Amino acid sequence: MGSKLDFSVLSRGEYPQWIWHGVLTMFELTLAAWLFAMALGMVLAVVRMADSRVAKAFVASYVEYHQNVPMLVQVFLWYFGMPALLPHAAQQWLNAHNSEFLLAFISIGLCMAAYVSEGLRGGIRSIPKSQLEAARAIGLSYLQASRLVLIPQALRIALPTLVSHTVLLFKNTSLAMTIGVAELTYATREIESQSFKTVEIYLLSTVIYLGISLLIMTAGAGLESRYRIRTR
Amino acid sequence: MKKTTSTLIAGACLALLANLACADQLADIKAKGVFTCGTLGTAEPFSFSNTQTREVEGYDVDFCKALAKSLGVKLELKLISVAARIPELQQSRIDAVIANLGWSAERAEQIAFSDQYFASEQKVAARKDSGFTTLKDLTGKRVSAVKGSSSEMLVRKVIPGASTITFQDPPNAFLAMQQGKVEGLAASELTLVKFRQQSESTVPIAILEPSLVLEPWGVGMRKEEAGFIKHVNTTLEAMEKSGEALQIFNKWLGTGTSYKMQRGFRIEPIKG
Repeated sequence: MGSKLDFSVLSRGEYPQWIWHGVLTMFELTLAAWLFAMALGMVLAVVRMADSRVAKAFVASYVEYHQNVPMLVQVFLWYFGMPALLPHAAQQWLNAHNSEFLLAFISIGLCMAAYVSEGLRGGIRSIPKSQLEAARAIGLSYLQASRLVLIPQALRIALPTLVSHTVLLFKNTSLAMTIGVAELTYATREIESQSFKTVEIYLLSTVIYLGISLLIMTAGAGLESRYRIRTR
Repeated sequence: MKKTTSTLIAGACLALLANLACADQLADIKAKGVFTCGTLGTAEPFSFSNTQTREVEGYDVDFCKALAKSLGVKLELKLISVAARIPELQQSRIDAVIANLGWSAERAEQIAFSDQYFASEQKVAARKDSGFTTLKDLTGKRVSAVKGSSSEMLVRKVIPGASTITFQDPPNAFLAMQQGKVEGLAASELTLVKFRQQSESTVPIAILEPSLVLEPWGVGMRKEEAGFIKHVNTTLEAMEKSGEALQIFNKWLGTGTSYKMQRGFRIEPIKG
């Protein structure tokens, strides 16, 4: 009976290596895109709170684009579209330097930065404006006031949102499969098509994804309880 | 959160338990009066929607029709994705898969393959301006292929040091080569011939020799259904003898079509 589960196939030949390599690539991609998204998201949030209409409009349109266009489309655009705009030498450099991974991390990072900036903006807006005014009154510059007064508080308030965005980012790294990045879903598909052990390999990757997502959420919950702003 | 997780797990378990063993499939099909045939629907000229009639037709579909006729029942076509071919079959949602199913020893452990009803030449193409002419020229280079295709493993086996990057469908794998992201594109000869026609005026491509392999395709069936497997093979052999199989080949791939192919195989058991 062909439908009995048989996980032994997964330990055959090159498969464990593929899965391991897939998991590693997934971690690298998640980490690279996460750092990029957090840094850029923070910059965007601060720029949006600034007193310039042009800056506000820029960030607003940035966020609208990245939140309203499917991420898969964005990944494709970066992989197939953007390099075409570059000079030939740059294209060749990219192609020789693992352009799949590079462009996947850029496109996923850029997209998630929009989400992060919105999460942070929510956090910043919940802090009374008088705090910024007070910080300016004691002589801090706008950037200093943001860095020392607003962002530390906003980060804590936005923490739950940021954790769920982190999980979202983690899951979305699987989209990189479509442009040939050999992460976990890619390895899953490869093994599936060679062995036809569909249920087994998809179950395994489900368990891995679920496990890591739960880990991120648990870590997030830990951070939240640790850094909660205690009110009297 | 906890609740969602346990619901998910329960759902997954239910899905797994649903693999019920059935009685004899051949008798079942006749009793139901319907033969459910799984086919891709997206692979010209094997199984694709005719834009005029909006009917799914093609080489694979004609074999579905012939099998339904031989069983004396109505045909129900079920469109499936490449990745869903085997689960759909194993979970008995379809009676047989006729969907570009290439034979390999490992795959044959999971399902039964009929006699080959088609043999697909797997080749590699490169941009003409690259100057590549044989497979050897691609040593150590990057080659694109379609996810789940057999050409992918073959590239790594046949071309020393070559690495593969796979994409969801042939156009993406082709575009990656056009843009120079990879040096070669591995696919069936049919796909490559089509791309060569389309790209003649822009970035012409050359098909390299020799071919990676001649891959036999079979009708996929559940292993335990010996009676049904036998019926399918008998029917296929009868179609070979009567010339019906050749007719189907010429209708979709022969000299009258844009592929202009000669039939270089016959229906016979696949040699392991």
